[in-house]
Amino acid sequence: MNMRDNILFSAFLIIILATTSIADISINGYIQTDNRLRLEEPKTWTWNENKLNMKLDAKPSDKIRAFGEIRLKGIGFSNANSTSDLQDKSKKNAIPYSLEMQEAYMDINSFLTKKLDLRIGRQVIVWGTADKINPSSNLCPDDLEDIFNFGEKIGVNALKASFYQKIGETDLTLTGVFIPLFTPSTLPSSEWSKAFAGDFEIPMGMKLASFSDKLILPENKPSKSSSFGLKLSTSLLGYDLSFGYYNGYDKLPLVKTIFISPKDTENQTVDVIVHSSYPKIQVISGDIVGEIASIGIWAEGAVFIPKETEMVETFLTPPRSLLKKSVALDDEPYVKYVIGGDYNFKHGFYLNMQYVHGFIHERGKGNLNDYLVQRLEYKFHNDEVKLVPLSFAVGIDDWENIKENYGIVYMPELTYSPYDSFELTLGAFILSGKGNELFSKLKDNDEFYIRAKVSF
Amino acid sequence: MKRLALTMAFILLSLIVRTVYSQDLTAVEILKKTDSVITAVKDAKTKTKTILIDKDKNEKIRESEIYERGKDKRLIRFISPADQKGIAFLSLPDDVQYVYLPAFHKVRRIASSAKNTNFAGTDFTYDDLSTFEYSPLCIPKLLETTNETYILELTPKPNVKKDYSKLKMWIRKDNFYPVKYEMYDKNGKLWKILERRKIEKVGNYWISKEVEMRDVKANHSTKMIIEKIEVDTGLSDDIFTERYLSKVN
Repeated sequence: MNMRDNILFSAFLIIILATTSIADISINGYIQTDNRLRLEEPKTWTWNENKLNMKLDAKPSDKIRAFGEIRLKGIGFSNANSTSDLQDKSKKNAIPYSLEMQEAYMDINSFLTKKLDLRIGRQVIVWGTADKINPSSNLCPDDLEDIFNFGEKIGVNALKASFYQKIGETDLTLTGVFIPLFTPSTLPSSEWSKAFAGDFEIPMGMKLASFSDKLILPENKPSKSSSFGLKLSTSLLGYDLSFGYYNGYDKLPLVKTIFISPKDTENQTVDVIVHSSYPKIQVISGDIVGEIASIGIWAEGAVFIPKETEMVETFLTPPRSLLKKSVALDDEPYVKYVIGGDYNFKHGFYLNMQYVHGFIHERGKGNLNDYLVQRLEYKFHNDEVKLVPLSFAVGIDDWENIKENYGIVYMPELTYSPYDSFELTLGAFILSGKGNELFSKLKDNDEFYIRAKVSF
Repeated sequence: MKRLALTMAFILLSLIVRTVYSQDLTAVEILKKTDSVITAVKDAKTKTKTILIDKDKNEKIRESEIYERGKDKRLIRFISPADQKGIAFLSLPDDVQYVYLPAFHKVRRIASSAKNTNFAGTDFTYDDLSTFEYSPLCIPKLLETTNETYILELTPKPNVKKDYSKLKMWIRKDNFYPVKYEMYDKNGKLWKILERRKIEKVGNYWISKEVEMRDVKANHSTKMIIEKIEVDTGLSDDIFTERYLSKVN
């Protein structure tokens, strides 16, 4: 965090403290610690996070609301390599920390007409009825910093307008969102990045000397960087339905060009430079939620229509260069969907199951895998203890050879909340599998974690 | 003297008529009257303090605001504790229920299997909080009439799913206000006791300002105390919508 961040955060705190006493303002938030230990050798700490989250909520008048959420995070490990790092006044290497603005928006309710609400500013917009994995939710980029917290979204600057209309006994909601600027998804740190990394081969017999990559973001002008979405929601025959359309960008990078150049001909090493861009997409989606025989059910699907993206591999072999062109993502539409259900059993048991076709990072027809995600919770001791004995996800890469192409992650968890607004959580990620499946790629990353959280 | 005799005769006649009238009331009629007393308020907005009391008498406090309209619409929004602030629950006709969880940025529909689970750590189930009338759901039987109360036994109608096998209800004779319920599990054992206290007139309506639900099996109880109530303020139907559910008041 630099001087500017420090000033911003201090200003934020001063404004909060100064205004709470004079206006209808509330401050909430939480402090959370999260530490993770690798269970395999060398059994190192892999995650060290201490987070102060603050939310400011103000309602200066009946129709206006202002909301802001900011996160000050001490995350990672000391990078001090020299005494000068310890003498550095910013302390950024000795004690790494960062400041994030998650949301900062204003609500203008019943704008011009009672039927119209506006939300302007940085906001998180989540569409869809499924749990955490929402193929219809493409407006905000995913925050994949913590791979096991998938479903977390990053706030974007947007204008959201919701129009409410009643036709007979049927309520209709039409939502329109305009996002003027492009914001990419964040990715897991290096230890977990292989989960989302594609296969990359260097020429036979060559060794990698260096690797660098560059992201090509859309230009910052309305015709290039903006995106928009529309959604119509209603209820019919006891079910809630919605239909959506999104026109914008895929928020995960796609390799567009690869430059391979010889570094040392004697040792046959090469330098590799990769350029990635963000393909344009349109998404037509729909979801439904209701129940059958007291079992909650939901289904959510989306047809992705990508713009074809070409990939060029260049192998510089002076005086010539070899060019190889291929299609990184073709324009053939592909469908992602989630079908799920949940049930509350007696005595505090809750079961949630989802079948997922196409995980968050997967794209392109033929590249979508299948996942079964299940979570059984048991709350007891006056809800002070929540045990999750059976929580797992199974991924299948190839149905014709399941034995060699599967992955599984088992995620048991125990949360204890002896006092209001406090919780202590212990858990683990145990990964296994074979082949190139998502969880299989991470099978050496078993971890134990401990978290403590106080809300205020 | 003549005037006194006339007055006495009138009082006597009134008592006879009242006694005959009361004796003539069937269990169904008593329950319907009770339902009409409980649902008489057109709409209400209350600020409530909820105290959870465990077997060691440790207390946890939740504050909420509750909006009610008619017989089948209720919205509850938590104000405290901090980790529950903003969580809101909406109950609509035909067992349609939604919950808003601010951390997930979306409104979620709740399956009716959740009806018989406890609401936010209290001893009230979602079903307890969304049941306003018993006569459409239960078959009443008059067990006993005392000087002050009718005691009814209610059993769920064949097509109605309830977690309890029967329910005993104590109803005040003077205003048909239910003051106590005993709920029995499927094995016929006493499971929960609900008591309504501090019954006062607010406007034209009888309102209980303190309700306690005690889970006899778990040895845990929940006390809901109304700190502020406004009735018949003309709450709009717009409040009982998903649109309003996710809004901070």
